[in-house]
Amino acid sequence: MKLESWVTDSSLLSYCPTGQDMMGMAIRMRESSSTNPQDNLEWTPKSTGPDQRFAAEKSFSSVLVNTVREAVGNALGRNVLEILTSKGLLDDASNSKEFDRKLQLLFGNGAAVLERIVVKDLNRRLGIRYDSEARFDYGKSLETAKEVCFMESRLK
Amino acid sequence: MFHGEQAEMSEQEILSTLLASEIRGDLLVLFHKNPGLIDTVDGIARRIGRTTIAVISDVRELLQLGLLKQKRIGASEIVYLDRARDREILESVANHLKTVRIGREK
Repeated sequence: MKLESWVTDSSLLSYCPTGQDMMGMAIRMRESSSTNPQDNLEWTPKSTGPDQRFAAEKSFSSVLVNTVREAVGNALGRNVLEILTSKGLLDDASNSKEFDRKLQLLFGNGAAVLERIVVKDLNRRLGIRYDSEARFDYGKSLETAKEVCFMESRLK
Repeated sequence: MFHGEQAEMSEQEILSTLLASEIRGDLLVLFHKNPGLIDTVDGIARRIGRTTIAVISDVRELLQLGLLKQKRIGASEIVYLDRARDREILESVANHLKTVRIGREK
Protein backbone atom coordinates (compact mmCIF):
# COMPACT_ATOMS: atom_id res chain seq x y z
CA MET A 1 0.00 0.00 0.00
CA LYS A 2 1.37 3.37 -0.98
CA LEU A 3 1.78 5.69 1.99
CA GLU A 4 0.40 8.73 0.19
CA SER A 5 -2.83 6.89 -0.62
CA TRP A 6 -3.73 6.07 2.97
CA VAL A 7 -2.46 9.30 4.43
CA THR A 8 -4.89 11.25 2.29
CA ASP A 9 -7.79 8.85 2.93
CA SER A 10 -10.18 10.99 5.01
CA SER A 11 -11.77 7.93 6.62
CA LEU A 12 -8.48 7.27 8.37
CA LEU A 13 -8.42 10.72 9.90
CA SER A 14 -11.61 10.21 11.88
CA TYR A 15 -10.45 7.52 14.28
CA CYS A 16 -7.88 7.30 17.02
CA PRO A 17 -5.40 4.50 16.36
CA THR A 18 -4.45 1.94 18.97
CA GLY A 19 -0.89 0.88 19.65
CA GLN A 20 -1.45 -2.15 17.41
CA ASP A 21 -2.73 0.10 14.63
CA MET A 22 0.29 2.34 14.97
CA MET A 23 2.60 -0.64 14.87
CA GLY A 24 0.89 -1.87 11.71
CA MET A 25 1.26 1.56 10.18
CA ALA A 26 4.91 1.68 11.19
CA ILE A 27 5.55 -1.69 9.57
CA ARG A 28 3.75 -0.65 6.38
CA MET A 29 5.65 2.62 6.35
CA ARG A 30 8.93 0.81 6.97
CA GLU A 31 8.16 -1.30 3.90
CA SER A 32 7.13 1.66 1.80
CA SER A 33 10.12 3.70 2.91
CA SER A 34 12.43 1.24 1.18
CA THR A 35 11.37 2.92 -2.05
CA ASN A 36 12.22 6.31 -0.65
CA PRO A 37 15.15 7.65 -2.67
CA GLN A 38 16.32 9.92 0.15
CA ASP A 39 18.74 8.43 2.63
CA ASN A 40 18.10 10.92 5.39
CA LEU A 41 15.35 12.17 7.68
CA GLU A 42 13.86 14.73 5.35
CA TRP A 43 11.05 12.53 4.10
CA THR A 44 7.49 13.76 4.65
CA PRO A 45 4.25 12.95 2.84
CA LYS A 46 3.56 15.14 -0.16
CA SER A 47 -0.02 15.82 0.87
CA THR A 48 0.81 17.86 3.97
CA GLY A 49 1.19 21.61 4.20
CA PRO A 50 4.43 23.31 5.20
CA ASP A 51 3.08 24.42 8.60
CA GLN A 52 2.04 20.91 9.51
CA ARG A 53 5.32 19.51 8.26
CA PHE A 54 7.25 22.06 10.28
CA ALA A 55 5.23 21.25 13.41
CA ALA A 56 5.80 17.52 12.90
CA GLU A 57 9.55 18.03 12.38
CA LYS A 58 9.72 20.16 15.51
CA SER A 59 7.73 17.63 17.51
CA PHE A 60 9.95 14.75 16.40
CA SER A 61 13.11 16.71 17.08
CA SER A 62 11.89 17.44 20.59
CA VAL A 63 11.02 13.78 21.25
CA LEU A 64 14.40 12.69 19.90
CA VAL A 65 16.46 15.17 21.94
CA ASN A 66 14.58 14.21 25.11
CA THR A 67 15.13 10.55 24.35
CA VAL A 68 18.87 11.01 23.69
CA ARG A 69 19.23 13.00 26.92
CA GLU A 70 17.44 10.33 28.93
CA ALA A 71 19.23 7.41 27.27
CA VAL A 72 22.73 8.87 27.64
CA GLY A 73 21.95 10.10 31.16
CA ASN A 74 20.69 6.68 32.23
CA ALA A 75 23.63 4.85 30.70
CA LEU A 76 26.50 7.15 31.71
CA GLY A 77 25.14 9.62 34.24
CA ARG A 78 24.31 13.31 34.36
CA ASN A 79 27.91 14.57 34.41
CA VAL A 80 28.70 12.80 31.17
CA LEU A 81 25.46 14.07 29.66
CA GLU A 82 26.37 17.66 30.58
CA ILE A 83 29.81 17.28 29.02
CA LEU A 84 28.35 15.84 25.83
CA THR A 85 25.77 18.64 25.69
CA SER A 86 28.50 21.26 26.09
CA LYS A 87 30.37 19.61 23.22
CA GLY A 88 27.32 20.05 20.99
CA LEU A 89 26.23 16.40 20.76
CA LEU A 90 22.59 17.38 20.93
CA ASP A 91 22.84 20.25 18.43
CA ASP A 92 20.91 19.09 15.40
CA ALA A 93 20.27 15.64 16.91
CA SER A 94 17.80 14.86 14.11
CA ASN A 95 20.70 14.73 11.68
CA SER A 96 21.53 11.07 12.19
CA LYS A 97 24.78 11.15 10.21
CA GLU A 98 26.16 14.08 12.19
CA PHE A 99 25.04 12.56 15.49
CA ASP A 100 26.65 9.26 14.51
CA ARG A 101 29.90 11.05 13.54
CA LYS A 102 30.09 12.81 16.91
CA LEU A 103 29.30 9.62 18.83
CA GLN A 104 31.97 7.71 16.91
CA LEU A 105 34.57 10.34 17.80
CA LEU A 106 33.59 10.26 21.45
CA PHE A 107 32.91 6.58 22.02
CA GLY A 108 34.42 4.61 19.13
CA ASN A 109 32.78 1.18 18.99
CA GLY A 110 30.64 2.11 21.98
CA ALA A 111 28.72 4.56 19.77
CA ALA A 112 26.63 1.72 18.33
CA VAL A 113 25.61 0.62 21.83
CA LEU A 114 24.49 4.14 22.74
CA GLU A 115 22.58 4.42 19.48
CA ARG A 116 20.80 1.15 20.23
CA ILE A 117 19.87 2.44 23.69
CA VAL A 118 18.49 5.62 22.12
CA VAL A 119 16.47 3.74 19.48
CA LYS A 120 15.15 1.21 22.02
CA ASP A 121 13.89 4.06 24.21
CA LEU A 122 12.52 6.00 21.26
CA ASN A 123 10.67 2.94 19.95
CA ARG A 124 9.22 2.26 23.41
CA ARG A 125 7.89 5.82 23.56
CA LEU A 126 6.33 5.55 20.11
CA GLY A 127 5.03 1.96 20.45
CA ILE A 128 7.32 0.54 17.78
CA ARG A 129 8.63 -3.00 18.25
CA TYR A 130 12.39 -3.24 18.80
CA ASP A 131 14.23 -6.37 17.73
CA SER A 132 17.74 -6.60 19.16
CA GLU A 133 18.53 -9.52 16.84
CA ALA A 134 17.77 -7.55 13.68
CA ARG A 135 20.47 -5.72 11.73
CA PHE A 136 20.76 -2.22 13.20
CA ASP A 137 20.79 0.99 11.21
CA TYR A 138 20.52 4.14 13.31
CA GLY A 139 19.47 6.39 10.41
CA LYS A 140 16.74 4.03 9.21
CA SER A 141 15.47 3.49 12.75
CA LEU A 142 15.11 7.26 13.20
CA GLU A 143 13.40 7.50 9.84
CA THR A 144 10.78 4.94 10.91
CA ALA A 145 10.31 6.64 14.28
CA LYS A 146 9.88 9.96 12.55
CA GLU A 147 7.22 8.55 10.24
CA VAL A 148 5.29 7.12 13.21
CA CYS A 149 5.65 10.39 15.12
CA PHE A 150 4.38 12.25 12.07
CA MET A 151 1.40 9.90 11.71
CA GLU A 152 0.51 10.34 15.38
CA SER A 153 0.46 14.12 15.04
CA ARG A 154 -1.59 13.87 11.85
CA LEU A 155 -4.17 11.50 13.35
CA LYS A 156 -4.61 13.54 16.57
CA MET B 1 30.98 -16.13 39.59
CA PHE B 2 33.89 -13.73 39.96
CA HIS B 3 36.38 -13.44 42.78
CA GLY B 4 39.32 -11.63 41.18
CA GLU B 5 40.91 -8.26 41.83
CA GLN B 6 40.03 -5.13 39.89
CA ALA B 7 42.62 -4.53 37.21
CA GLU B 8 44.10 -1.05 36.67
CA MET B 9 42.47 0.37 33.57
CA SER B 10 42.83 3.60 31.66
CA GLU B 11 39.79 5.90 31.32
CA GLN B 12 39.53 4.89 27.67
CA GLU B 13 39.56 1.19 28.60
CA ILE B 14 36.89 1.74 31.23
CA LEU B 15 34.67 3.44 28.67
CA SER B 16 35.23 0.64 26.16
CA THR B 17 34.40 -1.95 28.81
CA LEU B 18 31.19 -0.18 29.79
CA LEU B 19 29.94 0.04 26.21
CA ALA B 20 31.31 -3.21 24.82
CA SER B 21 27.93 -4.75 24.02
CA GLU B 22 24.23 -3.97 23.85
CA ILE B 23 23.64 -6.15 26.92
CA ARG B 24 26.20 -4.17 28.89
CA GLY B 25 24.42 -0.98 27.83
CA ASP B 26 21.12 -2.47 29.02
CA LEU B 27 22.71 -3.43 32.34
CA LEU B 28 24.04 0.11 32.83
CA VAL B 29 20.61 1.59 32.17
CA LEU B 30 18.90 -0.96 34.44
CA PHE B 31 21.19 -0.31 37.41
CA HIS B 32 21.34 3.46 36.95
CA LYS B 33 17.55 3.65 36.78
CA ASN B 34 17.29 1.32 39.80
CA PRO B 35 20.41 1.96 41.89
CA GLY B 36 19.04 0.01 44.86
CA LEU B 37 18.33 -3.10 42.80
CA ILE B 38 19.49 -6.39 44.32
CA ASP B 39 18.80 -9.53 42.30
CA THR B 40 20.21 -12.80 41.06
CA VAL B 41 21.75 -12.99 37.60
CA ASP B 42 18.63 -14.91 36.47
CA GLY B 43 16.43 -12.07 37.71
CA ILE B 44 18.60 -9.40 36.13
CA ALA B 45 18.55 -11.25 32.81
CA ARG B 46 14.75 -11.41 32.92
CA ARG B 47 14.51 -7.70 33.71
CA ILE B 48 16.33 -6.81 30.50
CA GLY B 49 14.52 -9.46 28.46
CA ARG B 50 17.47 -11.82 28.04
CA THR B 51 18.53 -15.28 29.14
CA THR B 52 21.02 -15.95 31.93
CA ILE B 53 23.46 -17.47 29.46
CA ALA B 54 23.30 -14.35 27.31
CA VAL B 55 24.08 -11.93 30.15
CA ILE B 56 26.55 -13.90 32.25
CA SER B 57 29.76 -12.76 30.54
CA ASP B 58 28.67 -9.10 30.58
CA VAL B 59 27.73 -9.28 34.27
CA ARG B 60 31.14 -10.85 34.91
CA GLU B 61 32.91 -7.98 33.12
CA LEU B 62 31.02 -5.40 35.20
CA LEU B 63 31.88 -7.34 38.37
CA GLN B 64 35.52 -7.31 37.32
CA LEU B 65 35.32 -3.56 36.73
CA GLY B 66 33.88 -3.20 40.22
CA LEU B 67 30.70 -1.48 39.04
CA LEU B 68 28.68 -4.45 40.27
CA LYS B 69 29.23 -6.43 43.43
CA GLN B 70 28.08 -9.92 44.32
CA LYS B 71 27.13 -11.46 47.62
CA ARG B 72 25.75 -14.80 48.76
CA ILE B 73 22.46 -14.60 50.62
CA GLY B 74 21.26 -18.04 51.70
CA ALA B 75 21.28 -20.24 48.65
CA SER B 76 21.32 -17.33 46.22
CA GLU B 77 24.18 -15.35 44.74
CA ILE B 78 22.94 -11.80 44.34
CA VAL B 79 24.31 -8.90 42.35
CA TYR B 80 23.99 -5.17 43.07
CA LEU B 81 25.42 -1.80 42.05
CA ASP B 82 28.41 -0.51 44.01
CA ARG B 83 27.32 3.13 44.09
CA ALA B 84 30.64 4.53 45.25
CA ARG B 85 32.57 2.67 42.55
CA ASP B 86 29.92 3.64 40.00
CA ARG B 87 30.49 7.32 40.81
CA GLU B 88 34.24 6.84 40.42
CA ILE B 89 33.85 5.08 37.10
CA LEU B 90 31.46 7.66 35.67
CA GLU B 91 33.75 10.45 36.85
CA SER B 92 36.69 8.90 35.03
CA VAL B 93 34.53 8.52 31.90
CA ALA B 94 33.55 12.18 32.19
CA ASN B 95 37.20 13.20 32.59
CA HIS B 96 38.15 11.23 29.51
CA LEU B 97 35.32 12.70 27.42
CA LYS B 98 36.35 16.23 28.38
CA THR B 99 39.59 15.66 26.48
CA VAL B 100 37.96 14.40 23.26
CA ARG B 101 37.30 17.01 20.59
CA ILE B 102 34.36 16.65 18.22
CA GLY B 103 34.47 20.15 16.66
CA ARG B 104 32.13 22.99 17.65
CA GLU B 105 32.79 22.73 21.40
CA LYS B 106 31.21 25.60 23.35
